[in-house]
Formats: sequence, C-alpha cells, structure tokens
Amino acid sequence: MSDQDQDKDPVVHSSLSRPLFIWSALLLLSLGWALYDEVYGIRPWKSYQSHFSKVYSRYLRSVRPNESTFEKQIQASPEYQKLDRDAEAARKTVAAQVEARDREVKQVLVPQTLALNDPFQEVRSHIGSLTYQIETTNSQSSKESMRREIEQIKKEIHTVKLPMPDGTTKKVDYDYARMDRDLLAWKNRKAQLLQEIVDLQKPYTELLAARDKYLSDRVADVSSGMLAGLLNKMDDFDIGVRQIHIKDVDLVDRCESCHLGTREPVTLTKAAMGGEEVFVSHPNKELLKIHDPEKFGCTPCHGGNGVAVDSIEKAHGSNEHWLWPLHSRENFEAGCQQCHVKEIVTEMAPALNAGRELFRLRGCMGCHRYEGFDREPEEMISVNQQIRQLENQKAEWDREIGFTSDKADRTRDNAEAQRLYQHANDLKVRISGLDAKIEQADMRASNLIREVKKVGPSLKEVRMKMHKEWIPVWLQDPHKWRPGTKMPTFRLDQDDIQAIAAFIWQSGVTGNLPTSSPGDPVKGKESFETRGCMACHSMGEGNDKEGGTFAANLSRVGEKDNYDYLVRWIHNPRERTLPYCPFEKRDLTEADYKKKGVPFVFDMDHSKCPNDGHELQVEQMTPMPSLRLTVEEARDIASYLLTQKHFDATYPAADYLDDPKLKTHGAFLVRYYGCAGCHEISGLEEEQRTGTELTKEGSKPIERLDFALLGHGAEREGWYNHKGFFEHKLQDPAVYDRGKEKPNKLDRLKMPNFNLSKPEIDEVATFLLGSVDSALPERYYFEPTDQRQDVIEGWWVIRKYNCMGCHQVHVGQTTVFMTLPRYQDPDWKDQRPPSLIGEGARVNPAWLMRFLANPALSETDTNRDGVRQYLKARMPTFYFSASEIQKLVRFFAASSSQSMPYIDPKMEAISDQERTMARQLFSSEGAPCLKCHATGDAKHDQRATAPNFLLSKERLKPGWTERWMVHPEMMQPGTAMPSGLFRREGDRWVFAGPTPPSFQNYPRDHADLLVRYMFQFTPEELNRLRASAGAGAGR
Amino acid sequence: MDLNQLWRIISTPDNVPIVLLMIVVPFYTWYGLSQAFANDRLVVQLEADPALAKTHHRKTQPWKPGWARDVHVWPYLLRIEFLAAIIVTLILMVWSITLNAPLEEPSNPTLTMNPAKAPWYFLGLQEMLVYFDPWIAGVVMPTLIILGLMVVPYIDENPLGNGYYTYKQRKFAIWTFIFGFIILWVSMIVIGTLIRGPGWMWFWPGTTWDHNRLEFTVNRDLPDVFGLKGRVAKIIFGAIVMGLYSVAGAIGIHKLLNLTPFARKIYKRMSLVQVVVMQVFLISMLALPLKMVARLVFRIKYVWVTPWFNV
Repeated sequence: MSDQDQDKDPVVHSSLSRPLFIWSALLLLSLGWALYDEVYGIRPWKSYQSHFSKVYSRYLRSVRPNESTFEKQIQASPEYQKLDRDAEAARKTVAAQVEARDREVKQVLVPQTLALNDPFQEVRSHIGSLTYQIETTNSQSSKESMRREIEQIKKEIHTVKLPMPDGTTKKVDYDYARMDRDLLAWKNRKAQLLQEIVDLQKPYTELLAARDKYLSDRVADVSSGMLAGLLNKMDDFDIGVRQIHIKDVDLVDRCESCHLGTREPVTLTKAAMGGEEVFVSHPNKELLKIHDPEKFGCTPCHGGNGVAVDSIEKAHGSNEHWLWPLHSRENFEAGCQQCHVKEIVTEMAPALNAGRELFRLRGCMGCHRYEGFDREPEEMISVNQQIRQLENQKAEWDREIGFTSDKADRTRDNAEAQRLYQHANDLKVRISGLDAKIEQADMRASNLIREVKKVGPSLKEVRMKMHKEWIPVWLQDPHKWRPGTKMPTFRLDQDDIQAIAAFIWQSGVTGNLPTSSPGDPVKGKESFETRGCMACHSMGEGNDKEGGTFAANLSRVGEKDNYDYLVRWIHNPRERTLPYCPFEKRDLTEADYKKKGVPFVFDMDHSKCPNDGHELQVEQMTPMPSLRLTVEEARDIASYLLTQKHFDATYPAADYLDDPKLKTHGAFLVRYYGCAGCHEISGLEEEQRTGTELTKEGSKPIERLDFALLGHGAEREGWYNHKGFFEHKLQDPAVYDRGKEKPNKLDRLKMPNFNLSKPEIDEVATFLLGSVDSALPERYYFEPTDQRQDVIEGWWVIRKYNCMGCHQVHVGQTTVFMTLPRYQDPDWKDQRPPSLIGEGARVNPAWLMRFLANPALSETDTNRDGVRQYLKARMPTFYFSASEIQKLVRFFAASSSQSMPYIDPKMEAISDQERTMARQLFSSEGAPCLKCHATGDAKHDQRATAPNFLLSKERLKPGWTERWMVHPEMMQPGTAMPSGLFRREGDRWVFAGPTPPSFQNYPRDHADLLVRYMFQFTPEELNRLRASAGAGAGR
Repeated sequence: MDLNQLWRIISTPDNVPIVLLMIVVPFYTWYGLSQAFANDRLVVQLEADPALAKTHHRKTQPWKPGWARDVHVWPYLLRIEFLAAIIVTLILMVWSITLNAPLEEPSNPTLTMNPAKAPWYFLGLQEMLVYFDPWIAGVVMPTLIILGLMVVPYIDENPLGNGYYTYKQRKFAIWTFIFGFIILWVSMIVIGTLIRGPGWMWFWPGTTWDHNRLEFTVNRDLPDVFGLKGRVAKIIFGAIVMGLYSVAGAIGIHKLLNLTPFARKIYKRMSLVQVVVMQVFLISMLALPLKMVARLVFRIKYVWVTPWFNV
C-alpha cells in the first residue's frame, strides 16, 4: 500500500466487496450443506433404499433364469403337457357355444342397455325427487298435485335409438314402465348368459388349475411369475420412510426403512444381498407369523429406537440415555422374556430357556427372589393367610346367626321374624360354602408342603450322611472337588470355613439308620446305568463324563458318603430321619410321639403333628424320586457308588467340627451367606432370601447398578450398560470389589462364584436383560386364558422334576438317554423311555392321573413299572402333590389339543363273531402282535417290548389307538411298532398282510375292528388269545 | 488429567454457549474498554485543540486530516451491518447443523440425575444455593437482582457517556457492572457448568467426575467458631456481625465514591434516597463474594443463624 492509500479514510474508501463476497459465498455453501444434511445427512436410509433396490433387483434377475429353466423342465414333462393339452381340448369343444353367448352379450345386450339406461335414469331421478317432496311437504293439495305430476311423467313417451346387432339403429318409443321392464329383462338375460359361459368352461378352468398346481407343487420357493412381480415392484421402488404404526399403543417402528428385506417373500441371505447384512430377511419366518409385525412392530421384541432413522447408532438405541437398546446377538431372546414372563419354557427361545433353567437349577433363586420361581413358600404363606381369613369370616357369620335368631325369637312382627329366620338360614348355607373353600385351601396347603423343594441337599442329616473331614474341603472350593457342581464357591477364609463346617456339623440331627450288609458293586453298576439314574446324574470326570446335568456328578461319592445312609437314600430319597413341624419350627423327635402315645411313624398318611395337628414336612425336600428298588438293589447301587473315588485323595482331620465355640459364629455366617436358600438347615428353616430381587433387574436404572470403581473404565471400554454389568458380575461376582478398600470382610460382595461358562453367562444375562418392567401395553403379554395356560403351568412341573431327562416332551428335544453310549446300540434303543409327544392324545387322563400317582399301578407289587415292565429304566415315583398331577395331566392334554375333562367315546359292542375274527388276526402270522406285546406270562414277557393289551381299555383313547395302528412311524419315528399294517381301500382300512379266511366278505373297517376288540379285552380273552397264539406258534 | 472428561464437558451441546461465553465476554469487555480509553484520549486531545474540535466529530482514533467529518449511514454503516448479519447467519447455520438438541432419557420420578443442573442461565442462582439458605438464595436474592436492575436508571443520573464509549466519565458504573455481571453472574454460571460435578462437588477442570468420590468437609456456623451456644446469643451475634459489615461496607462505598473530584461532583448531585437505595443494593451485592470466600476458604456455613432464616 502506498502512503496515499493510508491517508484515505478507511470507513469511506475501503471496499467491503471482498469480505462480502467471501462471506456470502460461505453462507451459500452453508445453505448447500444444510440442504444436503436435510436431504441425505440426517436421512441415511435413503441411500440404503436405493442400494437395496439395486442389489435386490440384481439378485432377483440372477435367480430368475434358474427358476425359469427349472420351470421349463417341469412344463416339458409329459404330465404337465398332458394336462395342458387336455385343458386346450376342453376349451375347444365348448369354444363355439361360448363364442355365441359372448357375442350376444357384447353386441346386443350391453349396447342396448347403455342406450336405454340414460333416459330411464333421468325419469327415475325426477320421480325420486318428487317422491321426496311428497314425503316432506305438509300440504295435502300439493301432495296430490305432485302425485299427478308423477303419473304424468310415467306416461311420457321417450323415443330411444336402440343399436341393432347388424350395426343399424332402430327407433323405439318407450314409456317408463316399458323401460323398466326391458332393462330388467336384459339384465337377467345377461346374467344367465354369463353363468352359462362359466358352466361351459368349467372343465377347462379345472384342468388349468390342475396344471398350475402341478407346477407350483414342484417349484420350491417362489415361481418366476412371483419373481417378475417382485422385480416390477423394484422398478417402481419409491424411496420413503417405511414404518409400522400401531395406533392403539402409539408405536412407530421405522426399522424397515433400512432393513428392507425383512419381510420379503424370497429368503435373502447376506451373500445374496452383496454382503449387506442389513438387507437379509428375518431368520425365523415362523416366529414372525406368530408375532405379526403389523401388530407387534419390531422394537417391542428387539429393543432399539423405532422412531429414529438418522443414524445407525440412534436407530439401534445404542446412544447414551436411550433406555431400551437393541438386544445384542447373544441376548436377542431377552425380548421374549418381556412378555413371556410367566413361563419357564418358551418355544423357539432356547437360550432364554437355558438361562431360566440355570437360574432355577443353580440356585440363583435361593438368594434372589424372582416372581414365579420357587413360588411355593410364598404361596404357602398366602394360603395360610386365606385360611385364617375364611375362619374369621365363618366365626363372624356364626355370631351373626346367633344374634339374628335371638332377635327373630323376640320380635312381635311375624313378617319381620320370618325375614330374620330367612337371613339366619341364608348365612348357614353360606357358611357351608365357606367350609368347602376352607377344605380346598387346606388341601392346597398340604399339597404345597410337598411341593417345596430345595436346590441343595438337606444339611440336617450331614452327621448321618457324610464323612466329617470332607466338609471343610468341599467348602473351600466345591468346583475344584467336583467341577460343574451347582454349589458355588464362596469367598471364605480358613476361619470362616471352620466355623461354618462346625455349625453345620453340630446342628445336624441323628437318628436310627439300619445297618446294611454290603452289596454287589458289579450289579450295582449295571443298575445305576440302566435304571434311569443317569437321566439326572452324571458319572465320570472330564471328558469321560456321561449322563444328565440335572443332579450331581457322582464320580467321587465314595470319598464322602456313609454306606448305610446311601442305601436308605437310594431306596427312598424322600425318607426323612425326623419330621419337621413348621408351626413349632423344629424337628420332632421320637420323644414327641411317645409323649402323646403315638407310634413314631410319619409319612404321607401320617403327616399331622402329634403336638398341634399341623401339617408336617415328612419328606426330604428333594426332587429326587424313588425308583421303587428293592433294598438289595439299593445296596448294590450304594456299594457301586462307594467304589467311585480318587484313591489317593486325603482329607486332613477336622476335629474342630465338634468345637462348640465355633458354632455361634458359624450360625451367623451361614445366615449371612444365605446357605438356607438352597439347603435345609436346622434352625434356619424360615430364613428369607439374602439377595436383591431380580424380577425387574433388566430395567433398573443404570445408576442403581453399582459398578463401584469400574464405572469409568466400563464407560471407556463400552460396557457401561446392563449387559456389561451382568456379564462381568456373573463372570466374577466379586469383580465390583476390585480396588475397593474393605477392611471388614463382611462388607465385601457376598455373591459366590458359580463358575459359569461363557455360553451359560450369555444365557443367564439374556434372562436378566429380558426381566424388565416393560412399557408395553397389557395385550402384548402372553397371558392366555385357554389351554395354553395349562402348557405354561405344566412346564414348571416338568422342569422341576426333569421329566425331559428320560422323555421327549416336545418335538426336536434330546433326552439324556439318547446321548448315553449304551443306548446307541440298536438292541438298547428299544430300552429308551417312551416319548411323550402326543401323550395327551394317547392316554385317558383319568388313567394318567393314577399312573403319575403310582407308576407301579399296584399297591402291593411296587417293584415294577405299571405299563412297560420290559423296560430296565423305570418310571419312578415322584410323590407328586395332587395339584402337580393335575398340572401334568392338563399339560399333556393341552399340548395335544385335547379337551378337558375327557369323556369316553361310546364304543360299539363287539359281536362274538367279530371277536373271533379279531382273535384270529391277532394270532395270525401276518400280525404277530403278541410277539412284542406283553401278556403277563413271565416267560414271554422277558422278551416283550410293548405294553399289555389289558391296559388299553383303561389307558388309551380309541381314536389315538386307531391312528397309531395305521401310522406308528409318523407319530414316533423309530418305533418298534411296524408301519404299513393297513392299507386304504375305499373309505376303510384293510389289513395289509394275509388275513384269516373269516375276513372274507367282512365289509367293515379292520382297524376299527381291532380297536373295538382291544377296548373290550378281558383277562379271559387274553388267555384264549394266548392259547391260540401258542397253538399257532406250535404249529 | 482426564482430558476425555474435560472434552465431554465442554463439547456437550448444552455447554457450548458457556464455552463461547468464556471467550466472547472477555473479548468484548476488552474491546469496549479499549474504545472507551481511545475516546477518553480523544476528549483530552480535543479539549486541548479547539481548532481540531471544529472539524473532528468522529469518535475513535486514529484520525487523519482530510477525513470526512460525517459519514452517512447508507452505505457506510449498513454495509458493515449487512456483513455482520451474514457472518452471524453463517455461524447459526453451521451451529444448527452440527450440534443437535441434547435430549436425555424420559424423566423418572424415582431417580434424580446426578449432578442435577438447571438450564445454564439459572446456574448462577443454583450456585448461590451453596452459600445461602434456599430462602435467601432462591427468593430474596433474585428479587433483589431484579429490583436492583430496575432502580439503575433512577440512581444513575450521570448523563455522560450517552452514544459513545467512555471510561473516565463512568468509572463507577463500569466497575459496578464488571463486578456484578462479569465477576459474579458469569463466573458463577461458568462454575456451575464446568466445575460442579456429581454431588455438586468442586471438580477442577480435567479431573474425573467420579460418582463415588467422597469429600470430608465440616462447615460451621460463625457463632460456633466463637463458641456461642444459646439461640438468642447467636441471633444477636449474627445481627452484630451483619451490622458491622453493613456499616463497613457503607463507609467503604462512600470513600470509593469520593475518590476523585469528578466522582465527588456526581455524588454531590445525588439525593439522600438515591444514595441509600444504592448503598443497600451494593452492600447486598458485595455480600455474595464475601460469603463465597467465607464458605470456600474458611468453611463458614452461616454467619447469622436465626430460626426464620440463615445468612
């Protein structure tokens, strides 16, 4: 700049055009930026959509040739060609007739109707408006004049040019009545002609449909026609937000704005969509069918922010402050738990089911309350409360009856006295209703005392059961001693262990235990492996482990248990040494009974307290059932189990267990750590849970989850959320003590370590993440009032007693027996316990109830199975309570869609002649039924592999029996019962093999005959049958 | 030094205006004052040179002979304003594109967020709650602030400085403003935004806002420091202290107003009512920083403890 310039006044002489230009340009740029942001920046789904339409069309085009060549092959097949030719021929035969009718419709009726319609409508509307005026006017004279006007209009003549079939027109004069008549006639004629055309073409259209069905039956996925339709849809694909809006719940889910392939009819894989995972179809179409997205949306199950579409982070709800983030892959079944809160088993949610099962089986519920889990103790309290209330009510009414009667006696007014007596009588009737209610509640209470189970064994009997030295070693680290055990490792030091062990030992009861002579371990091993023990228990260590995980691994039992106790336990695990009185809160001893002069007997039939008449706990609170073994067999098994040990294991002496000084501190620790949550312990029977309730843990505000010093690290590492909290806690329950200064060890976190594996942690975390206080409206919850409720209830019982260890309860399930090596052998396959799929359709519920209560089906001969005596594995006696039996029976009925209660269908009586025929067939060589089915003859039954026919009448349902005889393979793949015994002949089933001569000219259904025979079977008939079969075999 | 934490605090969309405030307020204070000083110099120059005063009407230095005495609004002012409008619009555009409204989770009546902070413009009031009881900080002080602002035109009758920046002619007003607005109000907002963390504890910038942090401070009332026990004694003691403070404050302010002949001139013109009202507000204002120091440095909770209010 020169001096000249410097002297000039900058306000006046300096030019602002450059900064103005630059800033204006920048402003324009920012405007451009704003527009871009508005159109694309905050709408990333737009580019997803255009990309989707591109890759999807490409994919559709790439599959179409395959589909169409395949289709062409089918179209070239002779069957298809023949159908095609037949259709064409059928069309040709009627072509001329169709043509004639078609011509009449198109060339005469339609044009003439059109020509006449306008004048007719004009007149009719005029009449209509006049009629309306007549109806609304008040003046009689104007009504009359308008009526006259209408008559006038009707008489007016209209000249209409009607087109003729030859192309000319013809003038016709019409009044209103004639127009009406002609139009109606033409309409009827047209309808008649069209119907005739349809009738004529019927053979042709039917053949055409058959041809198309032939094609669609053979094309697996979608036809090329459908593909073309989809392609067309992609061609006029319009870019816009795609949302599901469910008005009544105010739910807006726009997930499908990016996840465009979710509901496409074609199954889209990642590879098919050019590696874009966002476009794949929903992996479980079955699930979508049940939960229609139009009704359920996406976010109620999956989490995430359904409304947000401006970034992946926000749409998936992984931004800070969004309370319901998308469930991650390993936890996505958490969404099910939200609405399926009442279930222990939810179909199609294996991980969630496993999580719930872990929560139950590992004893989490011993310390943490969770609604629905281990509910019996709570129910017991509420039932007892109910009983008390009802009794109070009854007393109150009793008093009122007295007052009322008194008053009635004294009153002078006859009518009033009548009224009062009536009232007193009413109350008496109502009291009898109360009595019934009280009786029901009492029954429920005595049921409940049987239903309460503990996760761990009773510690009252340690003195009788255990080796003293073993206890401290076990407490030190249960998982080291028995990997995978349910008992978790507590954070105990040596002093704690000594005190706890001493308390447990000293609080144990003692009682009379019969001394047993030693058994045969070899026989015991055989029994252990075949009687069914391994459905729950496992044997062997490390990779040799075999058997179920429901109960303990028994490979080191020999190091810890006393023989005599073990014999008693195996013989009947429910047998208690002393009964427990919940009212007096103590174990009763023989002295209590002696004082009252009652024999020291306590069992299901003698379950009342001799002191106060309250219901006693007379059973061990274990789900372990009795296998109804003989004492000898129990001894054999016990002897075998005692051989299972590490011979080099040593246990330091533990004399301090008898040190009374340790007991008080031990009791404190046992209470503090909540041992009584899983174990029955003397003096701690009424302990409350020590942990926090977890029913709604998944929606606890994150601020309330105590990350302690790890919070900031968690935020940095990205696990400052519920999932992260649960996973870290389950991995190492002490993790949030890290870095904390806690000089008093009782201030430390006391949750013990369960040594869960990574998949197990995921499963439990899934369960907890789904345990939320859901914001969803009521109707989303799965709370059926129909039979599905019975299924929910039944699963709890089935899981509780591990029915699934032996039986297949639902399709696709594996039992423990299926995995045992011994049962892979074809000879042993028949020894697997029966599948219970369709059990409700198979058996009579009344019989099932009896069977569940007493699987031996006999009071005296209990060393047997009531139905399948040929099985080595035995249906054990679970000592179910009445309500558990009800639940199970209802469960089976509901899962086979059987109505309850069951009413026996009427059965047509079988004639003597038919009986002879059936007997002949049963013993013929074509149908050697008795070869496999048991007959009650001990020698024969050794080789039998199917139940006795004598049971059928009581046990089975006739409908099922017939279906079973006809198609056993369909009901139970792999069954020993042969399939194809019958063939269809017209509308009846006929025996497929050679039939005895008497069957000739028998016109009725053979399967039905056999069913009727079986359902009217008697022991005498069995003898006759056996005799004739024997004779037949003899020949 | 937890830079991550620092960045999170200053980059929260809600806090961005405060961060800007920290830069912009000092800048414009400096800028305004520098203009005022320039004008003051010009006044001196023009008073010494009557010839110049005749031609020179523009306010700021530098000034060169030959420059126009008057400049028209159009185009010279409006074009600058137009440029400013463009720049401000640009800033607002970019701001609105890049920073979205800071939404948080739905309110939960059973869970209070920690720290629970008022909107930024109320943070000064919230900060005051630390030093006074809620009645004083939440009701009395805000009322005083509003009343104080309302009486300003009735107290300040000094006509100088209208239409131009000046320091010399408005020293007292400027210092009162700087003290009351910038030092007290703005700095309390800054403290509330950037320094108060979980539990409303004092976290220096760059330290981690740790929810588990525990702090040991025992705050005492002034009468307790002097070992007073009875309630009446405490009330009387507090009243005496407050009275002493008021008297000392009034004398100090009086001295301040009579520091220069110019100030004396303006002070003389004020009526008794004006002086008393001004004294009341200034003494109240002054009480705030004194109480802050007493609290933060000497851990004094209250000076004047009564059953009805605490100061």
